[in-house]
Amino acid sequence: MATPSPEREPKLESQRSSYSPVDWQGALPTVIMEGLYTLTTSPCRGERFMSDYTELYDAILAGNAKKAEQVTKAALAEKVDPSELVKKYMIPAMDEVGKRFECNEYFVPELLIAARAMKTSLEIITPLLAAAGAEPVGRVVIGTVQGDLHDIGKNLVASMLEGGGFQVIDLGVDVPPERFVEVAKEKDGTIVALSALLTTTMSMMKNVIAALEKAGLRSTTKVMIGGAPITQQYADEIGADGYSDNASAAVALARKLV
Amino acid sequence: MPISNLTIIGETINDSVPSTKKLFDAGDIDGILELARMQDEKGAAYIDVNVGPRSAEFMAEMVCKVQAVTAKPLSIDTPDPAIAEAGLKAYDRARAGGKKPILNSISALRAEMFDLYKVCPFRPILLVSENVIDGCSKPCHTADETYQAAQQLVGNFLARCPGATNDDCIIDPGIAPIGSDSEGNIHRLVAAMERIHADPKFAGCHASVGLSNFTVMLPSKRPDGSPVKGALESAFLTKVMPLGLDMVIGSVKRNYNLLPPDHPAMVCLEDCLKQKGFDVLMRVRDFYAS
Repeated sequence: MATPSPEREPKLESQRSSYSPVDWQGALPTVIMEGLYTLTTSPCRGERFMSDYTELYDAILAGNAKKAEQVTKAALAEKVDPSELVKKYMIPAMDEVGKRFECNEYFVPELLIAARAMKTSLEIITPLLAAAGAEPVGRVVIGTVQGDLHDIGKNLVASMLEGGGFQVIDLGVDVPPERFVEVAKEKDGTIVALSALLTTTMSMMKNVIAALEKAGLRSTTKVMIGGAPITQQYADEIGADGYSDNASAAVALARKLV
Repeated sequence: MPISNLTIIGETINDSVPSTKKLFDAGDIDGILELARMQDEKGAAYIDVNVGPRSAEFMAEMVCKVQAVTAKPLSIDTPDPAIAEAGLKAYDRARAGGKKPILNSISALRAEMFDLYKVCPFRPILLVSENVIDGCSKPCHTADETYQAAQQLVGNFLARCPGATNDDCIIDPGIAPIGSDSEGNIHRLVAAMERIHADPKFAGCHASVGLSNFTVMLPSKRPDGSPVKGALESAFLTKVMPLGLDMVIGSVKRNYNLLPPDHPAMVCLEDCLKQKGFDVLMRVRDFYAS
């Protein structure tokens, strides 16, 4: 649409006071994780970690996909536990990226470049984690609602969720409610993430929620929404579980919802 | 060099602009009208009016009130046919010196909005970055798809709206933020504009983009204090105006300029057009971060 979109500027949010780890299921006990990663300043460097793979953290923070791949492969060759790499370096790096975004130190290019570096490493590690029985942080099925072909915001959120350790199933644009239901049905606890840019299509979000209710999935499925015309008020009106106005905050929201 | 032959549709009265939304939500109509006056004074040729999801009656009310403070023609901005109809019905063409309003925007997915031409003749912004092919709606990913969408939409408009001419058509090739453009949208846009510009069937048509979208989500300044957004937007205009772009939905405060080839923003844009994928994002990052 030809409408200007200054609303998509990152909104400055209050800076987080602590640096929180993200649990990867089957990870170290939370209390140990907090002991390792609860920082008051950023970024975390070598002495904070048990091993010397801070290059992986730095590579993701800098968006250096090639370096991230090299370090990941080197670490795995040295028999480092892949879940440790994820917990100690990769997810903290993406947390730091999100934090810098919220402080207007990073902007969308840095977000996307870092998410790509994260994804490059995850593609190497995920099969190993799956073989060991570990599961991702959560499962998100994402799409732009029916009648709407806009995908920039949706793609940003999908990239950041993947970088945040979520399994993301991207259904694309112009997605009918029944398609969201079909994929949500495959696994309890799925988050359905809906995007819309047009005032004429945002009401379709309500239809998706109704379809989930009709299919008996609403109690086991969380719904988060976003897009230029969307507000928290609208999320409340239609009974969505959460609303986010930017891709970084969407990851934090998804973590709360799992 | 300031751009004299660029028509600016003032973008500010738009519910999706946070500061404007606050005015709408607070019922501060005087504040909204002040935006209309300001844009008029600063050189907007049209004043865009977008009331978001509010009612058709409210759009009609806003059209009347905005026209009371400006004689500039309006751009009725909504994808909703009922809201568009209310805005067009309320529009006072005489007050705007006989000029038609713009209807922003119509895509192949909303072609029924052409029927509103009977309510009030308008100049449509024809969004050619999406199309319906074999009954399926889809975004245009290539210059060829965009060009075909332009052919179909312009043809559809002229066929369905008796009296309309190419001069009424405003083709919008769809601009995406350069900061997230890892999929080659800028390449598609430039190549599509080249094709449309070279085709005599489109002679007399105008072309426009929502220019602020190009730099959304980027910082405002480089480390040396020089602007990021205005410079990249000016670079875009410098590149695409020779290909027929002559209108923008944009900011009257931006002071758009045509840039010399060695301007850092121009070099950045040309580099982006030579790059692919994430290299484009990294080139943009290098521009604003160094």
